[in-house]
Amino acid sequence: MIKPVLSLFLAGLVLLAGCGRAPDSARDAAGGGKRLTVALLPKSKGNAYFISCRAGAEKAARALGVDLLFDGPTDTDPAKQNEIIENWINLGVDVIAAACENREGISTALRKAQARGIKVITYDADALPDARAFFVNQATPEGIGHTLMDEAARLTNAEGEFAVILSTLTASNMQEWLKHIRARLAEKYPRMKLVAVRPCDDQKDKAQTEATTLLSAHPGLRLLMNICSPAVPGAAEAVKQAGKAVRVKVIGLGLPSENRRYVKDGVTDSVILWKTEDLGALAVEAAVALAKGTLQPGATSFRTATGATYEVKGDQILLGQPFIFNRDNIDQFNF
Amino acid sequence: MLTPSAMPRPALRHETVLLAVVLLEWLCFHALGPRFGTLENSFDLLRHSAEIGLLALAMTPVILTGGIDLSVGSLLGLCAVLYGKLWRDAGLDPGAAAGCTLALGALAGGLNAALIAGLRLPPLIVTLGTYSLFRGLAEAITRGADTFTNFPASFLFLGQERWLGLPSQAWLFAAVAAAVWLLVHRTTFGRACRAHGFAPEGARHAGLPAGRQLAAVYMLSGLIAALAAVIYTARLGQARADAGTGYELLAITAVVLGGTSIFGGRGTVHGTLLGVAALAILNNGLVHARQPREVAGLLTGALLLLALAAGTAPRLGTAWRARRAPHPSPS
Amino acid sequence: MKAWPRELSVGLALAALLGALAVFAPGFFAGPPLLSLAAREAPVLLVACGAAMVIVCRQIDISSGSQFAVVSVAAGLLAAEGWPPAAVAAAALVLGTTLGALNGLLVAGLGLPSIVVTLATMVTWREGLRWWRQGAFVNLPDGLQWLGLDQTAGQWTLIAAALGLFTLLAIASRHLAAGRHLYAVGSDAEAARLAGIRPAAVTFGAFTLAGALTALAALMNVIQSPQVDPKSGTGLELKAIAAVVVGGVAIAGGRGRLAGVLLGLLLLATVAPALTHLRIEAHWEKAIQGAIILLAVAAERARGRPA
Repeated sequence: MIKPVLSLFLAGLVLLAGCGRAPDSARDAAGGGKRLTVALLPKSKGNAYFISCRAGAEKAARALGVDLLFDGPTDTDPAKQNEIIENWINLGVDVIAAACENREGISTALRKAQARGIKVITYDADALPDARAFFVNQATPEGIGHTLMDEAARLTNAEGEFAVILSTLTASNMQEWLKHIRARLAEKYPRMKLVAVRPCDDQKDKAQTEATTLLSAHPGLRLLMNICSPAVPGAAEAVKQAGKAVRVKVIGLGLPSENRRYVKDGVTDSVILWKTEDLGALAVEAAVALAKGTLQPGATSFRTATGATYEVKGDQILLGQPFIFNRDNIDQFNF
Repeated sequence: MLTPSAMPRPALRHETVLLAVVLLEWLCFHALGPRFGTLENSFDLLRHSAEIGLLALAMTPVILTGGIDLSVGSLLGLCAVLYGKLWRDAGLDPGAAAGCTLALGALAGGLNAALIAGLRLPPLIVTLGTYSLFRGLAEAITRGADTFTNFPASFLFLGQERWLGLPSQAWLFAAVAAAVWLLVHRTTFGRACRAHGFAPEGARHAGLPAGRQLAAVYMLSGLIAALAAVIYTARLGQARADAGTGYELLAITAVVLGGTSIFGGRGTVHGTLLGVAALAILNNGLVHARQPREVAGLLTGALLLLALAAGTAPRLGTAWRARRAPHPSPS
Repeated sequence: MKAWPRELSVGLALAALLGALAVFAPGFFAGPPLLSLAAREAPVLLVACGAAMVIVCRQIDISSGSQFAVVSVAAGLLAAEGWPPAAVAAAALVLGTTLGALNGLLVAGLGLPSIVVTLATMVTWREGLRWWRQGAFVNLPDGLQWLGLDQTAGQWTLIAAALGLFTLLAIASRHLAAGRHLYAVGSDAEAARLAGIRPAAVTFGAFTLAGALTALAALMNVIQSPQVDPKSGTGLELKAIAAVVVGGVAIAGGRGRLAGVLLGLLLLATVAPALTHLRIEAHWEKAIQGAIILLAVAAERARGRPA
């Protein structure tokens, strides 16, 4: 029994060797004109948002002729991103593009990567400025918070109660957005009131349950603001089932594909997002340009290999304004 | 009823099989990833496994007594937050804050101990409750949002730098490992733990002070979880309420992979260390083999089943037996 | 000495919670939202029943959350392929039963400890699913939701189905031979064997039944919305086990009633919505939930009743 156990395990590892070896040897064989390896780190795996980013990143990597490594944590512990980055440092990747789950913690690992001569950029969520060269900025936390709050005010004529559903209380991007939502609320909309903030653990089903409870606990509720993507369809389903689609508005950050049904039915009023594929592609383009030296600190614009031009402001490459998807335009977006 | 010790011994000790697996993993990943075997990577391997390793060490005596501690991951989170609070808001210096955190960790372990040893409630339910309670307290203290950071370099040294050639936390880890090994394998306390795991009634009749010894095991677990929290905070340079989420399952995985019987009574600390190593090498090596992280999860599952099947191989074919000592009966 | 059953202390805790709600937040008892909440929790009752069977048999199953996700996604994909609902349900049940039977085979057939086996299958199914689907939602065809019934009728049907099955299981576990065998094997497998019961078969049966119940629960959840989230069921195993042990089923096997499990689940499922209704902020929720579990199990000791 022991022999078969060992040989089975060995067989498994050899099998892995089969898949694992290929890009490696290609890299070694290239010799002088060595292929760059770009490592792309999502906040978490198994998330539709980052799948979409990855699709764009893979297209860009193929076009540029670089190897792309895409890997990230499968659980929510904040230390996991650091471990993956430290492993990549040892693996010897050329550029790291990271979407940071926690700003301060991950900067420790990113600084270490820079010290070892690895180029570092961030995308989606920034690290501390000294831990990376550029940030591919799809929208600042401030911009996201203000856009959400303004949209909420527009839909409710700036009065009444609303509630927020987020992924987990401890996720730093959630807290950052919430901070700006609260700031905007205090500053501009005195007749609106944030009555509850509930976590849904990044699960659509739990968001549906939470939204159902919120609707009955706060009968005066006028709007549900969902700042993580699984919560938008979950909350929409709850509102629909409660028969409150007209009275209670639903908005949030999410993907058009997951919300099309509810937007068309008039349950979800608007979904805010940027072009995630473009974000992934731009992250890879910028990472490669940085490694090749064609993107230097101080640049004011960045022209990608595919010919698109993006504005660079300080050390941030701007993707452009977020889109607001609603009933009229959702069919133009297919991701 | 057949007691575990009366069962036919496998041809090879579990630890020997596991050692072979660890070596095999090492060789395979060395062949797959040219940079896997470097000193840098080996040190990172050590740094990444220190916290899980500490929790697994704490869990070993607990499981030996036939118990379980599901609260260690949550307690790590709570202690990380408490450490941040003590250092930043109470103004203690990093060393004093660490001392207080360790004391608080032992105190939290004491709550488990009081309910399990004092009220004689089942460990699984108690620690399922404190699993939720400790994480909840961490969230309540920080309102979920507060993050502690900007720790002084002298403190970060513990998690990020080297001391005498090795990562600093490796020394602490080695010291705790040695202490737990001695405690379990060289003291009457360790023997009493195992006796309690084998047959709690028997241990009581033999005059072993079951309550006090059980209590000590859970308090030790709390103390070590607090130490893991301090090291974790130093390695990451931040403390937040979600620190250590899911670590309890990783620690239990390492302990049972290391050959400790989940029913208590049987198991070794060096087995646990090998279990930690097998999992850490798998997780690290697969990055070098350029495999996605899901594969690490799949192989962990496979490794668990195979290692266990190897251990029970000689008993294959024999009918299912109750291999669990009866629990304290209603008196 | 007259024992104070766990059901009583759990029932008292539940009554106290409901009492507080009646005084401070009577809105909790409004009909339609309460019906929706009950329908959301109905699947969990089935998973908890499965967990109870396994625990009575002195084993444990922590893979039910992953099974739930795998079955949900598989059922969703089949439905999206255009399979008729009955065929989808049959296939899902077969899949769930198979997953449960696999656990049973490893535990009862090979004699491996159940916590290790189900820990392994838990990570394997969860990570395998993530690898395969990458987290993409499955869009279900129209008409599957509530199986074509009107929403209120659909919710009542789900609740009735869950309670009906629960009652059947509760009666079966008390009065059928197979049910008694579960308790016999759980209290003393050797004695059960000497009494002519085959412990391996009973254990295998418990895991298989748990798998089937989990599959049914997954189906009951899938038809409540038009999309399947592959992350659904994360943490479900802990919720089910908590309901079971809080409801008084002894983790050491052989003792406990399904009625207690229902009470345990009602208590745990009421806490989160109750906190929302009582306007308590979300960051207190886990601490309060933990405290309630500890108080409910410690309460019976307050009367000096031993294990």
